[in-house]
Amino acid sequence: MTEKRLLITGPNGAGKTNLLEAIELLGSLRSHRCSRDSDLIHWNQERALLRALSCEDETLELELRRKGGRQAKRNEKVLSRQFDLIGPLRCVGFSSLDLELVRGQPALRRQWLDRVVQQLEPIYSDLISRYSRLLRQRSQLWRRWRNKPANERDAILDAFDLQMALVSTRIHRRRSRALRHLQPLVAHWQKMISNGKEKLELVYYPGSKLKGEEAEEPWRLDIQDQLLDQRLDEERLGSCRVGPHRDEVGLLLNGLEARRFASSGQQRTLILSLKLAELDLVEQMSGLPPILLLDDVLAELDAKRQLLLLEVAGEKHQCIVTATHLDAFQGEWMRESQLLETKSFSSKGSVG
Amino acid sequence: MPGIGPRTAQRLALHLLRQPEERVRSFADAMLAAKSQVGQCQKCFHLSADPICEICRNEGRDSEFLCVVADSRDLLALERTKEFKGLYHVLGGLISPMDGVGPEILNVSSLVKRVDADDVDEVILALTPSVEGDTTSLYLARLLKPFTKVSRIAYGLPVGGELEYADEVTLTRALEGRQTLG
Repeated sequence: MTEKRLLITGPNGAGKTNLLEAIELLGSLRSHRCSRDSDLIHWNQERALLRALSCEDETLELELRRKGGRQAKRNEKVLSRQFDLIGPLRCVGFSSLDLELVRGQPALRRQWLDRVVQQLEPIYSDLISRYSRLLRQRSQLWRRWRNKPANERDAILDAFDLQMALVSTRIHRRRSRALRHLQPLVAHWQKMISNGKEKLELVYYPGSKLKGEEAEEPWRLDIQDQLLDQRLDEERLGSCRVGPHRDEVGLLLNGLEARRFASSGQQRTLILSLKLAELDLVEQMSGLPPILLLDDVLAELDAKRQLLLLEVAGEKHQCIVTATHLDAFQGEWMRESQLLETKSFSSKGSVG
Repeated sequence: MPGIGPRTAQRLALHLLRQPEERVRSFADAMLAAKSQVGQCQKCFHLSADPICEICRNEGRDSEFLCVVADSRDLLALERTKEFKGLYHVLGGLISPMDGVGPEILNVSSLVKRVDADDVDEVILALTPSVEGDTTSLYLARLLKPFTKVSRIAYGLPVGGELEYADEVTLTRALEGRQTLG
């Protein structure tokens, strides 16, 4: 990229999102579209290679293989932990999938929050993967061992309870802390976009009953009791009723639940506030303005909101923006920008 | 074969073909003999050619300490340290509902019987710190508590590693397992 902005246009299916996904994957080692590497590799191919060259002449490489794990390289040197690839390429993505953030199911809001916590505390991904493994093992236990004697089953459930209470406490604490971090940023942006008319609040509704002040030990013991209390219900329903997998993030606009009462225009503003807050937070944490990846969202925003996004993000941040038509870009977006037209994804030349 | 890619496999195959016939024959015989003779120790379930394995037979070892491992590979790793002088018990796996592995498939009841019958002062659980390993440890700890003291090996920093290069998960575990000095 030689300019501040790279505008990518092309018809549907030309590979615009594919390119942004590659950048996101190289920057965060995750794709928000799918979780398995085999879904990220081209059909009939054994491997996929992502390579980026920074303006400091650093090369970042990630190789995905259908069989075997990933291989990460930095400046041609193989890294023993792919985690070490994170850092030089920080990015925040904003795609049409995010438009569901307000209206969609709670899992979407949890994923968004998890992405933010991840930026704040690297240990968090271990907690999340541990917790989801515990949940999976637990639900399999109900599915496969329903006819086992209750005392045998309970002994194993007790072992799960002990671990889940600890991991749940830690996830709850981190999520609530991250929301407290985000609150002032989100409120600031919402106020600015709405000309001071709207007040946005983030509220944490934890999936376990958390009493009193944030404290690890009392919370842990309390959650352990709650897990035991719900066991009869769990037996009937086959799923665990307590824990961070049942968390919800409430978005209150002037005190009312946004998913039910906000207009679709307000909901868009709200998502923009959330994204700008995320952008701020990542910059605070890493000290560098992250790259903003806008996937086909400008068309969803009216001229006023596009302008605001440009004002905020356009100066500091490098932006990579996709759209089906050039008409989607309002006002100054075309200034200081490079244009890339994708026709179909057979183009072999390097991008940029 | 586990851990061997197509190129190594080819190298091994070509190497075998270049060997004199009697060496290949003795190699094949050794593999067959291993397959037909090696079974499990009746006491600790470690791999053994005899009904009772060498470690269980060795009277020089402290029978008061019993170390529980998931499989024979872990036992061999611990033996290489030459530090542990107690006896072992090989579980044959870890509790994992999604793989259909419950305590009844593992050598758990034999462990309880052993701890109950023999004079064991301490059971040391040496299982990997995964979800399945921790579940198994917690399960066994509760089961064995009425009979004896149960402890578990420490998790944390590798010796010789630099603190600054340790990953966050390991460091957190190490902080959790800190010990009071003096």
